[in-house]
Amino acid sequence: MVMMMAPGGTLEMAKTVLDEGADAVYVGVVGWSRRGAQDELNDDEIRHTIDYALARGKEVRVVVNTLPSSTELPMFVERVERYAGWGAQGFMISDLGAMRLVKERLPHVNVHTSVGCGITNYEDVRFLRELGADYVVLPYRLSVEEIRQIKGAGKVGIEVFLFKTPSGGKICPGKCNMSSYFSFRRWLDTEGKDHFFGSASRGGDCLRVCQTEWNFNVDDIDYRMPMTIKTNPALWLEELPDYLAAGVDCLKVPGRDRSAVLVRDIVRVYRRAVDAILETDRPDLSVFATELEILRGRWMTERNKRDNRLLRQAIDESARVSAAAAAVTQ
Amino acid sequence: MFELSTDVGNLKELREGDFSAYDAIYLGDFSCPEYPNNFSSHAELLEAGLQHVHARGQKAYLRLYAVPGNDDLAWVGDVIDTALQLPFDALEVHNLGVLRMLRERGCTAPIHLGVFGNLYTHETAKVLKDFGVTRVYPNPELSLDEVRYIAEHADVEVLVPVHGKIPLVISETCFILEHSEDGAEGACGDGSCSYQCTQDHWLKRGRGDGSRADWSLKDTGRMTLSGKDLCMVEHGGRLADMGLKHFYVHNKGEAPGYAAAVGRIYRDALTRAFAGEAAPDFTPALDALAGLAREGLCNGYYFEGAGQRYIGRS
Ligand code: SF4
Repeated sequence: MVMMMAPGGTLEMAKTVLDEGADAVYVGVVGWSRRGAQDELNDDEIRHTIDYALARGKEVRVVVNTLPSSTELPMFVERVERYAGWGAQGFMISDLGAMRLVKERLPHVNVHTSVGCGITNYEDVRFLRELGADYVVLPYRLSVEEIRQIKGAGKVGIEVFLFKTPSGGKICPGKCNMSSYFSFRRWLDTEGKDHFFGSASRGGDCLRVCQTEWNFNVDDIDYRMPMTIKTNPALWLEELPDYLAAGVDCLKVPGRDRSAVLVRDIVRVYRRAVDAILETDRPDLSVFATELEILRGRWMTERNKRDNRLLRQAIDESARVSAAAAAVTQ
Repeated sequence: MFELSTDVGNLKELREGDFSAYDAIYLGDFSCPEYPNNFSSHAELLEAGLQHVHARGQKAYLRLYAVPGNDDLAWVGDVIDTALQLPFDALEVHNLGVLRMLRERGCTAPIHLGVFGNLYTHETAKVLKDFGVTRVYPNPELSLDEVRYIAEHADVEVLVPVHGKIPLVISETCFILEHSEDGAEGACGDGSCSYQCTQDHWLKRGRGDGSRADWSLKDTGRMTLSGKDLCMVEHGGRLADMGLKHFYVHNKGEAPGYAAAVGRIYRDALTRAFAGEAAPDFTPALDALAGLAREGLCNGYYFEGAGQRYIGRS
């Protein structure tokens, strides 16, 4: 039975997606997931989410998928043990060492590898499964055939995002440090956790520097108009029956940093679509086409707003540091 | 005392260049299998490359392709099979699947984890050691203190890049071909590559007022590098005091002569630093290095700030 997992970027969103038919909700811990604090939950909210889900026979996955500092690992383990004690059934993790620590201490919890693991082939998946992964999240750009090959490579849960990019291009997320190259500030919260402002991998939120206007020039000659340098993922649906037939175990609705209303509407559509697929061999997904198109548009609008906000922060931070450096050298 | 290494993509570059300042050479371009006669994708060239390096008393490490998809695993396996028959001093992997393939094939050569291996913690280094990894290249986002912590607590060699452009993101296809004037003609991966990456490609943030761009990146096709050159020449004493020993100069995407000039400067600076000599006046070295760095110098993330900052010694 495929599990549909949806985001809880806020407590309100977490409850909403569970009410709307998600089987599980995933929530990020402040400072420990690959999103900014505004899209993460504090401990009270996490506990509340877990209670809410358990009361409804549903599950919670806690996202602790930053790539931390070595010295933060004891704090990491303490956190994971706390949430598991409250009833969280699984964790999303990027750091291999952190993954092994969790599996040694809490063998019963589900470990989902995160996009930070940068999987590109089925041998990667075998490696992660041997390390203790229960689910591997696949990148946004794999074909159904590639997923089938990966599923065939070994017994592990396959998780896919319900949005995808065309294959090729820069490997994002998972192998990119462009954001922190331009804007990066390390700061500790009261518990001693570094928030790594500007680092996509370490949890400070990617500041989306690939989405500014870039001139691409060859030996100093500009041939093209300025452009962004990475394509963005879009919601998809048409291939869902093939994905399920290929052995996908977990569908992940994206959108921790979107509005609760948009995420609610996405969950509604996908719930109906998944149920339709599970009920019949020949589901007619064309009935969802119009709704999906509207959701894509709303998704893009919210993404552009978010990108502009983050990019502004990147530019401001980078300008602030340059000005400070210039003042020192004067 | 210390090891200084750099990278060379193919036999032609190896034969024509002067790499005498280096103790070890990473052979191959791990980002693009189509790069002409790339050691990483040409099993038949490995022996000649290895012999060339060993004949000069240097160590030879082979770089394996960093981001293989399912369809690449067969040819990567062939390269590994050939490499394992040869006395390479180490093989470099960036991909966990390739690491697993090495173990499956009974690899006894030391294994190095490359820059795209996403290594952030000593616990991860310990996991990888169980797979035969003896040296790790910590993610460039780590500070020097974090790097040292890993070296000390995982008891593993760490490779510390001291100069050159920082690899920031890797691609499965070629950005240059995808955006070249010829459009889709030379589509990446179809064997019709026109090797436009032999020209310098830069990404500059556009500015509405036409003034000089404040952000720059260098693009080598399947990899995007920092616009500025990482430069640690002033900090050799500190690196030596930290017990770090394995240093590296990024050469990929640079003009002929770059590795030779940079290598000489670092060989001298590090030798003095490791001998405990007082820090000299770095102005001539910095001037020379700045002359080779079109967009200027930076310290990467070593001192806990944005990668493109530069901080002098004082
Ligand atoms: S969104 Fe852009 S800058 Fe951020 S990780 Fe992805 S490619 Fe890199």
